[in-house]
Amino acid sequence: MNNAFAELLSVWTAGPMLSIALTLAAFLAANWLFARFRRPLWMPPVLIAALLLAAVVALSGIGFEEYEQGARWLTVLLGPATVALGVPLYQQMHHIRALWKPILVTLPLAATLAAVYALGIAWLMGASPLVLSSLAPKSVTAPIAMGIAEQLGGSVSLTLGGLLITGVLASVFVDWCARWLNIKDDRIIGFALGLNGHAIGTARAFEISPTAGAFSSLGMGLTGVFTALFLPFTFPF
Amino acid sequence: MVLLRGFLVLVVFFLLGEALRVLAGLPVSGGVLGMVMATFTLMLRGQVSDELAEASRGLISVLVLLITPGVVGVFFIVDQFYGHWTTVIVALIAGTLLSVLTTLWLMKKVSESSAGENSHE
Repeated sequence: MNNAFAELLSVWTAGPMLSIALTLAAFLAANWLFARFRRPLWMPPVLIAALLLAAVVALSGIGFEEYEQGARWLTVLLGPATVALGVPLYQQMHHIRALWKPILVTLPLAATLAAVYALGIAWLMGASPLVLSSLAPKSVTAPIAMGIAEQLGGSVSLTLGGLLITGVLASVFVDWCARWLNIKDDRIIGFALGLNGHAIGTARAFEISPTAGAFSSLGMGLTGVFTALFLPFTFPF
Repeated sequence: MVLLRGFLVLVVFFLLGEALRVLAGLPVSGGVLGMVMATFTLMLRGQVSDELAEASRGLISVLVLLITPGVVGVFFIVDQFYGHWTTVIVALIAGTLLSVLTTLWLMKKVSESSAGENSHE
């Protein structure tokens, strides 16, 4: 019985289909659970899906390496999906034109501070250079952040962990702070979500409205480009 | 067929982005460069085709699905950074709160003052 199961598992994991099925199932289950629990901000679908998948992958004996290899068939689509963000960006261009000044003023400062605040605190707490360089691109969208972390000599896995935590926190904090500062403009909320919370923030912004989503894509894209160009030249550790 | 045509456009822009990244030696990902190129192309054309709009809406709606496998990996490195997590989490919580506040506050201030200027014109 055990042998048959092991054989089945090795057949299933030979191709990518098992990983794809598990990921799709976790995604759908996470969306269902998320709606069921009245959309808790601190527990976005991506976190629910990842927890479910991590449990299944660890308990079933598939192993993360096997899973990841199969799931690559899905993750390669991140490239064209990033390109796809250009379409809402174009469709919302009239909003962006209207707000070009605050965007231009805020972006360099806020994108720099997004890295500097966390790095400063970590440095004061005595973090090692490895941890610092892994956290530096914490507000940048995953494919760019991985590149930056490698360039600075950080750990890509730790960077992804930092990205996850940052994305979830940014979604929660933008909600709190916008209410506190009495900001109701979807454009500002969206921009702050994308700038601080990269793709997780952008997924959240598209839940608010298409305008918030477009501004979030803009914030994410600009922060990514700005940080990728700026950070490797100024990182002191 | 309609969706495939839109998808082809997205993939081609991704490949162009990768080409620009490699040929110009830029430290920015091909996806982001492709996004910038696609946006500029659409601005020059002044319109977006239904098939491209449809394909991009489809992909954006599953963005979370595409990020998930990378996020799963985080749970398998928890041990590897044992002892660093307190620092990491404190820095991320405080740092993100501060930077979110800064962003919102700056955007609000600057957009209020530029809106004020416009109304004086």
